[in-house]
Amino acid sequence: MLAGLAPLIVLACLLSGLVAAAWQTRRWLQGAPARVARLQGLIAMPGRYLVDVHQVVARRPRNARFHALAAGGLLASLALWCVLAVPPLRYRPLWGVLALVLALMLMGAISVWRRRQVDRPVELSGGGFDRLPLALLLYAGGFLVLALAELFTGPAATLFSSLGLIVGTFGLAGIISLAIGGPLKHAINGMLHLAFHPRPARFVGGKRDTGLVPLDLASARLGVERPVDFAWNRLLGFDACVQCGRCEQVCPAYAAEQPLNPKKFIQDLAMALAPGASDDAYAGHGHPGQALGSAHGGPGEPLIGAMISDATLWSCTTCRACVHECPMMIEHVDAMVDLRRFQTLELAALPGKAALVLEDLRLTDTLSGRGPGARLDWAVDLRIPLMREVMEAPVLLWLGEAAFDLRAQRTLRALVRLLRQAGVVFATLGPEELDCGDTARRLGDEATFQDLAGRNIATLSRYRFDRIVTADPHSLHVLKNEYPAFGGGYEVVHHTTFLAGLIERGVFGPLSPDGRKVTYHDPCYLGRYNGETAAPRALLDALGLERVEMERSGLRSQCCGGGGGATLTDIPGKRRIPDIRMAQATETGAAVIAVACPTCTVMLEGVTGKRPEVLDVAELLWQAVERGGIAAARSGMPA
Amino acid sequence: MTGLAIVVLLSLGRHPATGRPRRNPDDARALATALALAATRSGSRVLAVHAGDPRAPVLRDYLGQGLDELTVLDMPSGSDPLPSLREHLVALSPDLLLTGQRAENGEASGLLPYLLAEALGMTLVPGVVGLDLQGDQGRFTQALPRGRRRQIEARLPLAATIPAGTAGLPLPSFAAARRGRIVSLPALASPDPHLVAIERQPWRQLPRPQPRRLKGSAIDRLKSMTGGGEAKGRLLVDPDPETAAAQILDRLGEIGLIRASHQSVTSRDTDGRTER
Amino acid sequence: MSRPRLDPRALRLARQVEGGGKRPRFALKADPPALHSRRRDPRLLRMRALVPGARRPRYDWKRDAASGAPSAVPAVDPVPANEPIRVESPAFWVLAVLDQSTGALDETDLQLLSVARRLAGDEGGVVALALADPVLATAGADRLAVWPASAVDPAAAEARAATVQALVESVKPRHVLCSDDPVAGGDIARRLAAKAGLRLVSAVNSLTADGRIGRRAGDETWLQPAPALMTIMPGSFAADEQALREARPLELPPIAFEAARLANIGLLPVDPESLPLDETDFIASAGNGVTDFAAFAEAAAALGATRAGSRVVCDAGLLPRDRQVGASGTVVTARCYLALGIAGAPQHLQGITGVRHVIAVNTDLHAEMIKRADLSIIADAQAVMPALARLARQRQEKP
Repeated sequence: MLAGLAPLIVLACLLSGLVAAAWQTRRWLQGAPARVARLQGLIAMPGRYLVDVHQVVARRPRNARFHALAAGGLLASLALWCVLAVPPLRYRPLWGVLALVLALMLMGAISVWRRRQVDRPVELSGGGFDRLPLALLLYAGGFLVLALAELFTGPAATLFSSLGLIVGTFGLAGIISLAIGGPLKHAINGMLHLAFHPRPARFVGGKRDTGLVPLDLASARLGVERPVDFAWNRLLGFDACVQCGRCEQVCPAYAAEQPLNPKKFIQDLAMALAPGASDDAYAGHGHPGQALGSAHGGPGEPLIGAMISDATLWSCTTCRACVHECPMMIEHVDAMVDLRRFQTLELAALPGKAALVLEDLRLTDTLSGRGPGARLDWAVDLRIPLMREVMEAPVLLWLGEAAFDLRAQRTLRALVRLLRQAGVVFATLGPEELDCGDTARRLGDEATFQDLAGRNIATLSRYRFDRIVTADPHSLHVLKNEYPAFGGGYEVVHHTTFLAGLIERGVFGPLSPDGRKVTYHDPCYLGRYNGETAAPRALLDALGLERVEMERSGLRSQCCGGGGGATLTDIPGKRRIPDIRMAQATETGAAVIAVACPTCTVMLEGVTGKRPEVLDVAELLWQAVERGGIAAARSGMPA
Repeated sequence: MTGLAIVVLLSLGRHPATGRPRRNPDDARALATALALAATRSGSRVLAVHAGDPRAPVLRDYLGQGLDELTVLDMPSGSDPLPSLREHLVALSPDLLLTGQRAENGEASGLLPYLLAEALGMTLVPGVVGLDLQGDQGRFTQALPRGRRRQIEARLPLAATIPAGTAGLPLPSFAAARRGRIVSLPALASPDPHLVAIERQPWRQLPRPQPRRLKGSAIDRLKSMTGGGEAKGRLLVDPDPETAAAQILDRLGEIGLIRASHQSVTSRDTDGRTER
Repeated sequence: MSRPRLDPRALRLARQVEGGGKRPRFALKADPPALHSRRRDPRLLRMRALVPGARRPRYDWKRDAASGAPSAVPAVDPVPANEPIRVESPAFWVLAVLDQSTGALDETDLQLLSVARRLAGDEGGVVALALADPVLATAGADRLAVWPASAVDPAAAEARAATVQALVESVKPRHVLCSDDPVAGGDIARRLAAKAGLRLVSAVNSLTADGRIGRRAGDETWLQPAPALMTIMPGSFAADEQALREARPLELPPIAFEAARLANIGLLPVDPESLPLDETDFIASAGNGVTDFAAFAEAAAALGATRAGSRVVCDAGLLPRDRQVGASGTVVTARCYLALGIAGAPQHLQGITGVRHVIAVNTDLHAEMIKRADLSIIADAQAVMPALARLARQRQEKP
């Protein structure tokens, strides 16, 4: 009988696979040192897998099912083989259990095969991935026959058993070959990436960890030039990519056919881990407008230029949609910014108007180049108190770059009136407020960012306030999540959150909306970066407006195209990101698209043709308050 | 081809909105030109010189353009840089002296390159936006007003003044700024007596100048009162396209912009050359 | 043909009124500014505009100065019928070195002459060093020194500087004025300053009542007595109308000039499309109201204008991003901005604040751009653009 032979063959294969896998670790171990709590990570890993990865995977139940069956079946069967390899434990019923496990795995393998061959999603990569279903089918099918045969005796059983062993072994060999540099390496790399993840905080109790990591400006090389400049656990993440293409599906730059496919970007980084790398073997969608096969590089060679074009690098809007969708928990945006840091700080090579604007920012502390002295020019009539006059106020209103934009000033005006109406005591830094540094940081200019952050924190430390309220999610993100690393820790509240709280307390009196249908566009830096999707919706609902959702909303909302300095680098595509987003809004039939970010406002208002009106949530609220006041005054009048 | 000794004079600029020190855009462009030129001729050296305070942080921004070393002739602000610069440059005997076209601080007369060129026996070419050197023969492209370009030939040693141009300046690289060295040399501080005689007032925007009219002004006023004015603020409602086009062309003619006048300008300039 | 900036009819009328009965009161006035700002007699002007033969008084303002289509004007001999002001031996001379960069007197030259005239006052005389141009007599020149053959080429900076130097040595002017153009007058002034050891005061932008000159230095204005050599900031002074002068030819002294070290190879052909927006002088700009971009391109080409667009147009990819005018695009300073189908969003208008002449074609009478324009045409740009292209080509073909 083969009862003794089969487990040994399987274990031998498995062992060789493990040796090969260990050999594979040198791909990512060549990365730069990183401080990782390894033991804690390993302990936390199963929890991260079952909770956090599951949350992502479960967004597509079918995928979750086949993965559970195939992967679970494979792992369970391997465990059973280990037991069966020990002669005293080789109970006959165990073969039954193995058969059951393999039968379930076979179902999963068939599902995988169907997905690959029958109704194949376009975002999937081919190549090694297309050989995967066959290997799984052979393994599961072959050993299922063997396991079933082991339950019986007789020549027929022996025949089937041997047949099963041959077929199953072929399958297993296939699986192992695919685990070495092939698609199944994700099993090992994925697990280790979860354990040694560069952002362990994102797995802690529903917290979001989205702030960029400060760069030590005294280090010898600023940012990432070559693959080996990335920390090893980042390389591990790139190498864990399964090329499922979810990032590709949600990337706004890819949708606009700008030369960025986040999946290809991560693959470029992973492929460059081998010397003499090229993207010949890559079998998925490339960066739009760029032919496959021309990229080349290696672990010690510069990435930008030969392996990844600079247009790819500067197309990213840092919207984090890819990160949010990635089942392997890869941090695309961090990689993007690391590469940008080298381009900006070392080479000073930025496209479009980015260099011009950064120079203005360095010299004036404002992106507009007008200097902070002009920040309150639009609000002379509003007489907003200055912090340096009042020294303390419950609310510090952070104005942001919006104060220099004619359109965004309307929002600020509405917000200031609402705060007045609600009796909120507030003040602003006015001419003392410098740019928060968001754009500089996303463009890789960490030096300017740290300079601005340091000076803003020094200014803020002179005054007493309970919280900072801002209408700019980018400022919100930077002040709340990125300043703490430089010694600033504040309670920062977005104006929609703050206003929603005020509405709950009923301070605005009667509200009278105009009854138009409204859809809400989530700003990336409010939703995905800071998890706030409820307050603006609650606010719109409190207005009594009919609210409809776009195809993509909440944490899965689509970017307006204005983040990450993308308007400055202005990489051309076939379409424009705001047009795509506006089409989604128009589809809902809404008359108004409610926004909560000055950048989104400008981007969406730039869309031409017939489209919903673009209004900030604060503007909608102020309109309702004004109308409500008038209506109340009228009804209060004697007939 | 032998290497060139290229001297670039760098001054401190002033940001128009905030008044903060910055790279002088013209000088920054001159430096970029020098570095690009040196890269095309092996053995070339770029010798950057600033006269002023070596501790000024903005000087690092020039280093950030890829300059390894910047020599600063240390002198207090308000001193006349000419004597020290002249002495320094004569010792270097450069083939090419590049400077920005205009300073943004102080007297800003743009005279310094001319005085240095005179002292060093150099031919001076102003307003250079493009330069092509073959041996010691240089072909320069000059920027004339309204986007016109003129080509000039001259031999080394040469001094050229360079306008910033409209393309954005290269952003200084933080890393290069950190790497570069500033070498400070003690220099003669000779105060400029001329500057004392100047009365300084805070600057304010002057109103747009109005021409003094001798004749016809009364008529113009009357016409504007009676609505018969035809120059400023003329409005045509639903004219036929031909009339509209004729009106536009007439106006362009008055402004002196239709192509016919452009061509005559061009030919006149070349005519002038052939006559010479 | 380039057209002189001054309308000869205006000048003739000016002189007629001056000679007409009201006797040379002005000549006796001590203060020239008072002279220039003296009010004319409106009754006389009204009389001139009166259409003869009408029963009720009708006025045709086209009959007189500064109006009417120039094409309808017969060529007028610029030499006046009445006598020019003669200056024999003034207390001092002011030398105005003109660029005439368009070949004729342009706005910059007239501004320069105005400043020279104001510095000369009643006692001084103005010498213009220029290409011969009959209009100079009406622009305030008492004497006219003509560039020698070696210095006719505007690029012959060395010869021009030597000429100025020779003239300075023979005439000994109290002030020498050059334009601020760094490749024309400004270059000559600096060459002269370096050669002759003169102090140059550049970019003069104001003249105070007490005769001092002012200029901007950072956030200060520096005031000082008018120096021997200065360059005049363009646009800071207006081109005043001047009384007729002699522009009497002045013999040039011998010029000590060695061989030129600069050789002019000539002008490069400039494609208006290749010019950066902030450098070009004439922009044709398309907005939302333009749908026919072929016609737009054709019209711009026929006019020799640089194409540009509003944000909407550039966003839609109809023009490249570097062609976008406005606060978020390029802020332009062209002399003329032809706005086709542009409503005039505030951000867009911010981008053209520095433009001198705006011509607007738009279907909406109430568009902001119409308010900003000095020639507004309420029409569909699609209809106007082909007509414009056709007519422009026609006019070009005609001699």
